[in-house]
Amino acid sequence: MNRVPFPSLARSLLLVTVCGGITLAASVFLGLSGGSSGISFTSLWYLMTASAPGEGVTAAIIWDIRLPRVILAAATGSTLAISGLVFQALLRNPLSEPYILGLSGGAAVGALIGMLLGFASFPGITILAFVGGFSSLFLVVAIARHRSEREENTLLLGGVMVNAFCGALIMLMLALSKDTQLRSAVFWLMGDLSQADFRKLPLLLLLLPAMTILFLNARSLNLLLLGRDSAAAFGINIRSFTYMALGLTSFMVGMVVSQTGLIGFVGLVVPHVFRLIVGSDHRLLMPLCLFGGGSFLILCDLFARTLPPQGEIPVGILTALIGAPLFICLLWKAKT
Amino acid sequence: MPSYHRKQKVFRYAFLFVVFFGWLLPVPAGASTENNSAVRHVIDLTGRNVEIPALPKRVISLAPAITEMIFSLGKQEVLLATVEYSNHPPQAGDLPRVGSYIRPDLEKIVAFQPDLVLATRDGNPRHVVDQLDRLSIPVFAIDPRNLEHIQKSLLALGTVFEATPRAEAIASSMARRLALIDEHVKLITYRPRVFFQVDAEPIVSIGEDTFLHELITRAGGRNVATGSIPYPRFNWEQVLSLQPEIVIITSMSGGRQPEWLRQQWQRWPQIEAVRNDRIHVVDADLFDRPTQRLVDGLETLTRYLHPQLFAPGRFDPKISVDRSGEL
Repeated sequence: MNRVPFPSLARSLLLVTVCGGITLAASVFLGLSGGSSGISFTSLWYLMTASAPGEGVTAAIIWDIRLPRVILAAATGSTLAISGLVFQALLRNPLSEPYILGLSGGAAVGALIGMLLGFASFPGITILAFVGGFSSLFLVVAIARHRSEREENTLLLGGVMVNAFCGALIMLMLALSKDTQLRSAVFWLMGDLSQADFRKLPLLLLLLPAMTILFLNARSLNLLLLGRDSAAAFGINIRSFTYMALGLTSFMVGMVVSQTGLIGFVGLVVPHVFRLIVGSDHRLLMPLCLFGGGSFLILCDLFARTLPPQGEIPVGILTALIGAPLFICLLWKAKT
Repeated sequence: MPSYHRKQKVFRYAFLFVVFFGWLLPVPAGASTENNSAVRHVIDLTGRNVEIPALPKRVISLAPAITEMIFSLGKQEVLLATVEYSNHPPQAGDLPRVGSYIRPDLEKIVAFQPDLVLATRDGNPRHVVDQLDRLSIPVFAIDPRNLEHIQKSLLALGTVFEATPRAEAIASSMARRLALIDEHVKLITYRPRVFFQVDAEPIVSIGEDTFLHELITRAGGRNVATGSIPYPRFNWEQVLSLQPEIVIITSMSGGRQPEWLRQQWQRWPQIEAVRNDRIHVVDADLFDRPTQRLVDGLETLTRYLHPQLFAPGRFDPKISVDRSGEL
């Protein structure tokens, strides 16, 4: 077995990391400098270069209101993009994505049950979100498995149906809940980053080990692209690997959905854009999705909270406006 | 696997995560600390212990009702901003907006550098209050959930802004008018069935746990839409079977014209209220703002429920009957 990496891999990885890091840093800078109270690059630059953390209103707005929001957006975008990437390789379907497959919807149902029962965000809501997401994903994959290998759209149809069912469950819970709870939940359905809070952010550190494990298995994802038989020939235990990867992504998505609500299509847009640029080597795609997904959602959120003069809109509206047409294009391309 | 590969891998991942999450580490806690000379400790109407400036000068109101109360106390000059739909008195419309009362815009609030934020327990999201707390911006919350608590809220705001005489005058005038209404309603022998409609598509009414329910009862009526759900939805089948004798519709129902709202009901002559032409569209602001104007609303409601009390010579002339509220 050839274990020596491509000669250029280390260099490509370094390049990818540097470019991705710069893009992410630039997005963070933009995300911190703009908001509903105005946009100012100079005051942010002044605050960042100053030796003391800074006091006063501008400092409070940037560090205590925008920063947790930007961090939440970055972590959510990265998680969704990486999950989309993993699904697309694992299920060998380029249209797979946590939102489309019903994983986000299932996680949202779990999280909403937790919220209505008055659970704490950790572990209660997170665990319920994970359970909800994993069961809906498991259901979708199980539906697809009973079909022949070629009918890959069964996966999407199963996802659409599970999504519709979860959507109905969510609406049912909202219709039965009291009016005041409902108002904020409507925003949550289309993705709401406005509740970002420093006290909840440390939870997101749990995403790190999951992302690390997935990155360590990037090579297995490459081999899976060659087909199940070839991957098995290279010594991959497909069954256990699939369960491991699906479990990890469900955990990650459950974690972010319980904090942000339903944000769709990030896992579709970001991996596809990068696949066009660097090809299908997951060892490069994984870090690119990490940086790119984070940057993408930070920028979408920046637009969501600065552009509408009436006040901010849910960020999921923007990601769906960008992602749904792309989904149609991909479907079109797959047909011809 | 040769160990140098592993080392290389470990280094690679370490680098990756430092680049991505490194900027998470230096989290400055730059909360604004107002350098106000005198502060005092008060307990707000939700039981929170708050430290507020001795005399707040830069205030943001997070509800139209609060804005209205501040104006009625004559303290509008302290108001920096308020939320959407703050339209009473008309001058309140000129104030800058910081989101709506359901979704206040935290960043805009902080940008105004208020020394006090006024919130209401029902409606303002708890997480916004918590975040303001952590930014050391004091939040004084009131809870005007019924007529008695509106008076309490006014008195509490009077204390906060050192306008106690004014607040007491308003509260006691409210109490006087309420006592007068109670006195007259005591004379009635029959409580008509009332359907109070707050939204048109779908029809939404009010449950038992609302101040509007209390208002109907106090005006001498029976709310037919009972139940523990605060704002229950109805369809025409249910409405028909409830057979209301009087229908009160607030003008904001679904953004519709009063004429259209009335016509929806007039399709159903089977309903007693329709047959007897007792469908009334009222000014929504008199009923969905928990302020002293709710007494105007109560008087309006009493007039519609018991017009015989208002027959010439029957009703105490001290009750203002000039404002019918009919649209």
